[in-house]
Amino acid sequence: MVAFRNTDPSGRTTGLLLRCVLYCLLALGLIVADKRYDHLGQIRRFLSIVAYPVQVAVASPFAGWDWFRESVTTRDALRADKAQLEAELRLANFRLQRYEALEAESQRLRALRDNTAGIANRFVIGNIMNLDIDAFRERVVVDKGARDGVYVGQAVLDAGGIFGQVARVGELTSEVILVSDAAHAIPVQVNRNGLRTIAVGTGDMAKLKLPYLSTSADVVAGDLLVTSGLGGGFPAGYPVGTVAVVRRDPAQSLADVDVRPAAALDRAREVMFVWISEGAKPAVAAAPAAGSPAAGSPAAGSPAAPKSASPGPAAAAAAKRGAGAGAPRP
Amino acid sequence: MMRDDRVRRLPMALSALVALAFAVIPLPTAIDAFRPDFLVLVVFYWSIESPRAGGLFLAFAAGLALDVIRGVVLGQHALALTLMAAWATHLRLRLRVFSVLSQSLTIFALLTGYQFILFWVDGATGNPVTTFSRWLAPIIGGLIWPLLAGGLSRLHER
Repeated sequence: MVAFRNTDPSGRTTGLLLRCVLYCLLALGLIVADKRYDHLGQIRRFLSIVAYPVQVAVASPFAGWDWFRESVTTRDALRADKAQLEAELRLANFRLQRYEALEAESQRLRALRDNTAGIANRFVIGNIMNLDIDAFRERVVVDKGARDGVYVGQAVLDAGGIFGQVARVGELTSEVILVSDAAHAIPVQVNRNGLRTIAVGTGDMAKLKLPYLSTSADVVAGDLLVTSGLGGGFPAGYPVGTVAVVRRDPAQSLADVDVRPAAALDRAREVMFVWISEGAKPAVAAAPAAGSPAAGSPAAGSPAAPKSASPGPAAAAAAKRGAGAGAPRP
Repeated sequence: MMRDDRVRRLPMALSALVALAFAVIPLPTAIDAFRPDFLVLVVFYWSIESPRAGGLFLAFAAGLALDVIRGVVLGQHALALTLMAAWATHLRLRLRVFSVLSQSLTIFALLTGYQFILFWVDGATGNPVTTFSRWLAPIIGGLIWPLLAGGLSRLHER
């Protein structure tokens, strides 16, 4: 039985209604100001510093446990790890041998088409903090923020491929929205034949979807999807996932395609923030938009400016328009 | 009365801080949706127990902290928590004489209202979360309310 002490016998809370209305108006004002006008960036950055100790306090026991487990690893385990890493490094180096030459060749060919898609030229590694910020959204907090130059809309990779993009930047931390978030969409390309489309998240970390492909589209299970670089938010050519299942129902006009993400969304500990080289024009500007009256001016012809690449429906819509302008309709 | 209020502020702030940490502590994905809103329950407890010491400011501040730490639009949790805490304060004299079952049911109703306002703001700002499992939290919250309220009252009566 819960016994409340009756310390307030008068039972009066003066002006409860008035204060409630005031606080609610304040909260509503905050919602509108935050949503509609982007004025609260500074306030939010300050508040995120205040929240930082709580975040660290929650995450540090887990980090401490990891550190402890690492420091009591046996010599044999370390040697096994080292052997495995050396083998991986050797394999990676073999693959890299021709990379420089291929990269240069690709740049030359792209320059011929005046189509220099964004090239990643700077990386910063961030650690994912062990926090669970929302059970219903696929987001993580990473320990790099505005102080390290992270910006909203920035692409985030892990060792396997595209991880997500920065949704919000604090002073010391930033929030990354995963490619699998239900509100996230990313312009992709089938590596085998160059077919361009959009991969959207499902809210399930093990699955993305390609909802805008017709039943006749040339896509089969096992196809590698890479970023197309359209929209300018992501660097081109990084793996997003592999097609897992293609279901074609003759009664439907669109195919139902499941994609397995390339990044280890549920296991990654470290991610990389990527800076795309300056001067790279959005690839859409040079796409063969023959029938479009705006084809003359690149600025009007590129529908998705890189700055507007905020995650969510806006980005999805922008990316959709981008693909619509550039992609050969299947 | 003033001195009594000031004495209460410490356990109030401490319990709110601990509850805030519980809101983001990582859980296995399987039981993540079952995580009760501890901070909301704590705010309800103080709204009922001593509305004059913390009252709506506590609710507003806790809501704002949730907004920042969850990374949602600023003011969402603050709005929901303020409204429901005001309602809890309004009901507190009745709540104090209720049986445990009635208290739990009332808290369940308050939590559902809280969740509904969150749901509404989510939709209004353009990123709706329509999974059914978001309505589990109020049920869990109503179930653990007797434990939490009992624990908190023992804590600050010492």
